[in-house]
Amino acid sequence: MNQGAAVQGVPAPAEKTEPQPLLTLSGVGKRFGEFSALSDIDIAFNAHQAHCLLGENGAGKSTLCNLVFGIHQPTSGVMRLEDAPYAPANPRDAMGHGVAMVHQHFSLINELPVIDNLLIGKKFGRLNRKAEAEKITALATEFGLDLAPFEIVGDLSVGQRQRIEIVKCLMQRPRLLILDEPTAVLLPEEINSLLDVCRRVAESGCAVVMVTHKLAEIARVADRVTVLRGGRAVAHSAEPSNDMDALVRAMISREGGAGDNRNFGVSALPPRNPAPHRGPRPEAMQIDNLSFVDEIGVKRLDSVTLTITEGEIVGVAGVEGNGQSELGSILAGLSRATSGRWFAAGREMTAAKPRQITAAGVGVIPEDRHLVASIGQLSLADNLQLGRMQRFARYGLIDRKDQREAASTLMQRFDVRAPDSQSAFSTLSGGNQQKAVLARELTTPNLRFLLAAHPTRGLDIGAIEAVYTFIRQAADRNTGVLLISSELDELLAVADRIVVFYRGRIIGERPASSDNRDHIGLLMSGKTP
Amino acid sequence: MTDIPQHPPVIRSAVYKDMFGRIAIPIIAVVAAFLVGLIAVMAMGVSLERAISAFINGAFGSAYSISASLNRSVSLALVGIGFVIAARAGLTNVGGEGQIAMGGVFATALCLAPGMAELPFGLSFIIPLVGGAIAGGVWGAIAGFLKVRAGANEVITTLLLSFIAIWLLYWSVQSENLLRQPMTSSATLPESLSIPASTQVPLLTGSYASPVTWGLPLTIVIAIAAAIILSRSVFGFNLKAIGFNPVAAARAGIAVGAGVVTALFVAGALGGLAGAVMLQGEQYSLKAGFCSNYGFDGLVVGLLARNSITGVIAGALLFGFMRSGGISMEMMASVPSALVGIIQGMIVVSIAGAAYFLDRGSAR
Repeated sequence: MNQGAAVQGVPAPAEKTEPQPLLTLSGVGKRFGEFSALSDIDIAFNAHQAHCLLGENGAGKSTLCNLVFGIHQPTSGVMRLEDAPYAPANPRDAMGHGVAMVHQHFSLINELPVIDNLLIGKKFGRLNRKAEAEKITALATEFGLDLAPFEIVGDLSVGQRQRIEIVKCLMQRPRLLILDEPTAVLLPEEINSLLDVCRRVAESGCAVVMVTHKLAEIARVADRVTVLRGGRAVAHSAEPSNDMDALVRAMISREGGAGDNRNFGVSALPPRNPAPHRGPRPEAMQIDNLSFVDEIGVKRLDSVTLTITEGEIVGVAGVEGNGQSELGSILAGLSRATSGRWFAAGREMTAAKPRQITAAGVGVIPEDRHLVASIGQLSLADNLQLGRMQRFARYGLIDRKDQREAASTLMQRFDVRAPDSQSAFSTLSGGNQQKAVLARELTTPNLRFLLAAHPTRGLDIGAIEAVYTFIRQAADRNTGVLLISSELDELLAVADRIVVFYRGRIIGERPASSDNRDHIGLLMSGKTP
Repeated sequence: MTDIPQHPPVIRSAVYKDMFGRIAIPIIAVVAAFLVGLIAVMAMGVSLERAISAFINGAFGSAYSISASLNRSVSLALVGIGFVIAARAGLTNVGGEGQIAMGGVFATALCLAPGMAELPFGLSFIIPLVGGAIAGGVWGAIAGFLKVRAGANEVITTLLLSFIAIWLLYWSVQSENLLRQPMTSSATLPESLSIPASTQVPLLTGSYASPVTWGLPLTIVIAIAAAIILSRSVFGFNLKAIGFNPVAAARAGIAVGAGVVTALFVAGALGGLAGAVMLQGEQYSLKAGFCSNYGFDGLVVGLLARNSITGVIAGALLFGFMRSGGISMEMMASVPSALVGIIQGMIVVSIAGAAYFLDRGSAR
């Protein structure tokens, strides 16, 4: 693909004179307690260029932005702005150095007009709204931003509000503008005009840093791309539109290359040992034409139809943000589909509450271990029995001894390691927390279907292997499994077949064999071969 | 009590700190607040000796005053226990005053209902007690329902429902069609008839010289039951899970909506019971000023107890005796009983402040 085609309809990127590094990061790392969010980052952001940070959730993109904008301070490494050391103590300090940031969440006062929002904190004394509005509108027009200064913010669309935030930053004439996932909240038709704005800002001489995990946007806007993965920069590209396939691979594969997918835990999995079965297998789960429109009107799921039979593991592949989370949330009973229906073991679950879904024999390993799957303040034993304490009740009171014994049994069976079953859940390691969640969900009475959303996220290799061993054992005992993951290699190793999500649709389906790896990778970037 | 968790030896120092926070700080706060109270008395030019002796006499001076103090503590404890139960589910019930009012109104109506006084086996006073509790419970459950269905914040709804309940109370003592006694002259007060003797909660001793009612043992039983339910029952466990993380609780199959409504029903029911006990054990007729702030003082008791039933009992006793002492101080030493309010406020502020610093220290 040539460059002209990649940025169709947009002024071509500035001629590639030698780029001048504006901000350089060398060896920058950030730890939060034991957790290393970023390590050893070397990046240069150049003036006149748009630099995209690409990566899955938790890859460290936002942390990197927060370091540059002074919200957090790096625990190692140095940053240099032009030739001076740059160590902003807080956002105000960063702004003083000409660094501005558009956050994912807007900080606007909905009841006030646009112009007031823009001038808050910037003016003293007499306020001449008209004159200011003219000045600001001129500035906005310069960058192709449409602005209605006297509209009330609350009446505007999300895209228009984002424009206000961008203008707010541009008013400071920044040298470096950071946009944290600016397109995540936008309607598809608003995205292109935002990308145009980014290009114009870059051409005006500013360095633009944009976080995204959407490949199509990179092709349109980026001069340079850095792929982050697990807190490290795993790939750089100065010609992103030519390197698209390599970027996809760097983003989704554990070691950055296609060849070495054998050493991350799933290779040591024991072979499947399915229970013998004759004739066609009954359906464990069925999704029928499911769609979901979110509160700002974006269609996140678009007519998804999928059937999983008993004993089958179906993998959901896709770059994050293509509808997988919404599907997981609907199947967990935490949100309701806008249209369409779904069934667990033949029973309709479309409008069911989580309790009814569990009662129908559905186990759920939610995407968010801390917010949805467990309660950190309670003990391990309590989390293992969350929602089924009734089992240990004698005359309404919990038989603690009984409960502890049941917890120890589960801990042994699922290899949950903790000082004892009364330890606070939040003190366990991520792997042990996840194994505990699995222990609970896989022992759901009469389990027929298991939803596992990113079950290995943030886990070490040993824990990953354990998690997948348990999931496959469940499938061997005739449970149907829907496995959502951003780790293509894991899906290939664990699933029977893989469906690929792109923009809320199932764009294709392939048997899970490493021969189909490249094909699936293409599907993930939206290309149907 | 039963709700103190067992800790492994490693964090024993934290337990000591916890004990310090739970026991020493409230005591220091109370002593300090009383000292400030004494300074205020001196500033008013009243002899300290007179004020203190009036206070002590009113609080503990006789069998009568001890009984009166205990009866006050009973009402505060019931509201406080309810507050703690709702707080376990992460809910703040500030509607105690209105729940007391509803309890009082319905208990009065039932006590005065034809035939009620003739019922055997003590039913004549038990039915109005239960009716008052249910009325308060429904009042609390409305807030729970609004929260589950419409997401309305229970702090706002319980408070506003309180105002409605208090005006309902005014209405029922003003209108002859409701509970106002028949007007025989222009001097007839806007209050209900006195309830028949058989509908009154019996006195423990049987003598009006020490008018402690059976409300006291009832409250002790309720406190023990509440402590056991909160720490050992499935219901208590589910409330705790809901309080910590309603999303995870729901996902794990706990009925969060039902839990919220039930918790506020129970909290309201205890408020309603407090109202019924106040009416049937102490006041015997319904008046406009019936609630006399027990709902809000009970809320403060619950807040100070920091989620512990033991704490509620201690706080209720303290505030109950202080109320009696304050009233006596006003009558005997002409120190305004508002001083007791000031001292209560001081205690609240110092305990809350100490808790803040203690929590901040342990977070580091």
